[in-house]
Amino acid sequence: MIIRELYIKNFGKFSEQHFYLHDGLQVISGENEFGKSTIHAFIRAMLFGLERGRGRAAVKDDFTRYEPWDNPGYYAGVMRFSCGERNFRLERNFARANRQVSLVCEDDGEELSVEHGDLNMLLGGMTGELFDSTVSVGQLKSRPGEELAEALENYAADYLETGGVQIDLNRAVQILKEKKKAAARALREEKDRQEDGRRELRQECAYLERDMEDLQREYEEKQGQMEQISRAENDRENAGWDNADGDCSGAEKFSADESEVKKAVQEAENMSSKSLLLAGAAGILIGILGLVWSGITAGLGASGSSLSFAVIAGLIGVTGVILLGCGIASKLRTKNRSIRAIHEEKVRKETKDREEADKEKTAGEKKVNEVRQERKRLEWELTRIQRQWKEKEIRRGNLQEQIDEFGPGEVQKALEKQCRALDLAEEHLIRAGQEMSSRTVDLVNRKASEIFAEITDGKYAGLFYDRGKGFRVWDGMRQIPAERLSRGTLEQIWFAFRMAGAQALQEEPMPIILDETFAFYDDKRTQSALKWLRGQKKQVIIFTCHDARG
Amino acid sequence: MKFIHIADVHLGARPDAGPMYSAGRAQELWDTFRGIISLCEEERTDLLLIAGDLFHRQPLMQELKEVNYLFTGLSHTRVVLIAGNHDYIRLDSNYRTFEWAENVYPLFGEELEYMDFPELNTAVYGFSYHRREITEPKYDQCRACGIEPFEILLAHGGDERHIPIDWRALNSSGFTYAALGHIHKPQALVKDRIIYAGALEPVDKNDTGAHGYVRGEITGAGIRTQWIPYARREYIHLELPVSPGDTTGSVWKKMEKQIDNYGNENIYRVSLLGKRDPDISFDTEWLGRCGNVIEVADDTSPAYDFEALYRENENTVLGRYMEHFAGCSEGSIEYQALCEGVDALLESRK
Repeated sequence: MIIRELYIKNFGKFSEQHFYLHDGLQVISGENEFGKSTIHAFIRAMLFGLERGRGRAAVKDDFTRYEPWDNPGYYAGVMRFSCGERNFRLERNFARANRQVSLVCEDDGEELSVEHGDLNMLLGGMTGELFDSTVSVGQLKSRPGEELAEALENYAADYLETGGVQIDLNRAVQILKEKKKAAARALREEKDRQEDGRRELRQECAYLERDMEDLQREYEEKQGQMEQISRAENDRENAGWDNADGDCSGAEKFSADESEVKKAVQEAENMSSKSLLLAGAAGILIGILGLVWSGITAGLGASGSSLSFAVIAGLIGVTGVILLGCGIASKLRTKNRSIRAIHEEKVRKETKDREEADKEKTAGEKKVNEVRQERKRLEWELTRIQRQWKEKEIRRGNLQEQIDEFGPGEVQKALEKQCRALDLAEEHLIRAGQEMSSRTVDLVNRKASEIFAEITDGKYAGLFYDRGKGFRVWDGMRQIPAERLSRGTLEQIWFAFRMAGAQALQEEPMPIILDETFAFYDDKRTQSALKWLRGQKKQVIIFTCHDARG
Repeated sequence: MKFIHIADVHLGARPDAGPMYSAGRAQELWDTFRGIISLCEEERTDLLLIAGDLFHRQPLMQELKEVNYLFTGLSHTRVVLIAGNHDYIRLDSNYRTFEWAENVYPLFGEELEYMDFPELNTAVYGFSYHRREITEPKYDQCRACGIEPFEILLAHGGDERHIPIDWRALNSSGFTYAALGHIHKPQALVKDRIIYAGALEPVDKNDTGAHGYVRGEITGAGIRTQWIPYARREYIHLELPVSPGDTTGSVWKKMEKQIDNYGNENIYRVSLLGKRDPDISFDTEWLGRCGNVIEVADDTSPAYDFEALYRENENTVLGRYMEHFAGCSEGSIEYQALCEGVDALLESRK
């Protein structure tokens, strides 16, 4: 970029002034208060605008400082410059009320847009801060600001021109981080899904275990019943002898009963035959007495009545005989009958006895059978439970195997790979950025060393800067911190570093503006510096109050 | 003597077969096994040889009963089986107590034993797994005793942790035929002599290709075998080439077409290969919802011309970044990192 013309409409002390500049080195000299610094500030304001500070800062800022002394509402200027073989006209109005900026290509009249970064593009991405840190060296401001060091480090890292398109390293890192976050989330979801599968299996396992516990309880219960049966059986076996005794006494009791019955039957039967005998005997006796009485009365003479009396007595006597006969017959019959009855009774009783014994015997047998069956049933149940338990146990084992086999699926593996790749990408991206910046810093150090060596006529072979240790020089034997050197040398170090930085950072070569930079230089070094500047084939604008220096 | 040799039936397995077939897949293993039993009956096969891993895990009593029931349906065929590493004879294994049908001859011992079938002029040798892993090459020492003219070895294993098998040693061990199991891919180590029948049905997504059984016949003239595909499904690893013009939708279409080509009854694992538009990332989860697809892996890389990109950006952080991954091979994690980083750097411009 070459500044061709500065047309200061109204800026600081200047009003309607034209300054024409050319390529290569030129000196603008003037006495103090000529306005050299104002011109310098005007160039900066034209290139980067004039931002108003806020609050207290506003009192001291450039806007206030260069607000036109007359007519502050009219605060404007024009700069004409050429860039890449094309000519441009940049016009700005700084005034608060109607701030304006326009950029026109003078070759074809094309209107460009400063807002949309067209000027920024022509400046090769240079910012005001970077401008101040490199090519623009203000009065007593030659020590480059921290911005330069930072800019150098960030240069590679932050904004790089790649075929005219900017890459934003920090944003790229951020993009990777976000992608990683998304991948990690997907991975977590995938793992959760698998965990769900595993949980399902575990639940199935738990159900089986519960079933197994139930079976275990059932088994113990059945086993208890089994023991009970066994105990009862043992008891019965011991009690077998007592039972036999009982049977014997039963038999005895049974025979006693028999005799009693016999007696009772006999008694009953004896009673009826006895009464018949008694009645018969009484009848005979009455008959005899009646006959005797009739004989007596007949002997006395009352034959009619005594005859009938004798007949009645005879009848009674006959009845008595019959009754007696009956009684005897009955007695005999009773005797016979009671013997038969006893016999029959006995047989009947015996049969009943036998039946009852049989009944009791079959009942016992039945009971034993029942117990046996119960035992068998229980045994069968126990085996069934055992079998079921084992089946479940094997199923549980198989499920457990399945759970253990649950490995990461392809999806999970792919996501894990992606996460690792993203981590790796981020790590290398940051490292590549650091390498780029250290490469830039190295480059600047090397360039600065060359410039510094040229200015100092080879006295110092090396000039280094790093953020921790600041500037150091190498005199061929040792490294010397810059602070120990003279003010002049220090100024030269800064100068060298600025120029090196400008070379390293600028896509578009910017004019070098030096405002009383050589005040502390001796003649020899001033000559060397000017010689170096001339060799740069760049526009160099030197402001000085020492006319002779030109 | 006619035989059928099957292996690795893995009854009880529940293989992943994609959204469409997974639910019925466990039953299909049983169906195919039933099919083999019917086949034995139809063909009046003399011997059904089961070379281990009939069950995927420890057999349940109910499963054994089911299998035994099928065996009882064989009026002519005798069944000889061994236990493999999956259904190994654990201390509490149901194999130990199960009572098999009369025509079933398990060789469940831990050491080599044989079953003599004089009427078939055949003896079948074998032993079973009593632990999950056996690293000793136990088959290397197995020899046929010469008790019958035809002697068959029923064997299971063939990798490092499951009885490594030296086919040369086996080849000179005197067996007429070695019926092998464990390796799921059907293959003949020695033609007509030492054969892996392969899994009857594929049970894992990596069991690609056709599956089936071996039918063989041994006569005085020698042995003839034939491997017969029988499984109802195949796992197919489908490599789908993708170009920078493709989107998820177009990939779906391509995938459907390919699946139609290779058969809808099969189960697919799809990898997308090739270069994709750097602005597009395929929705593999959505693609994976296609009925008989287990998963879709996006192995594509963005269609960057890395050389040109490097040439243009040699002195920038992008170039520097690319230098970090110089020489890494496509598909590696470094390559993926390279793509991700370049992606991010280029996106940062927007």
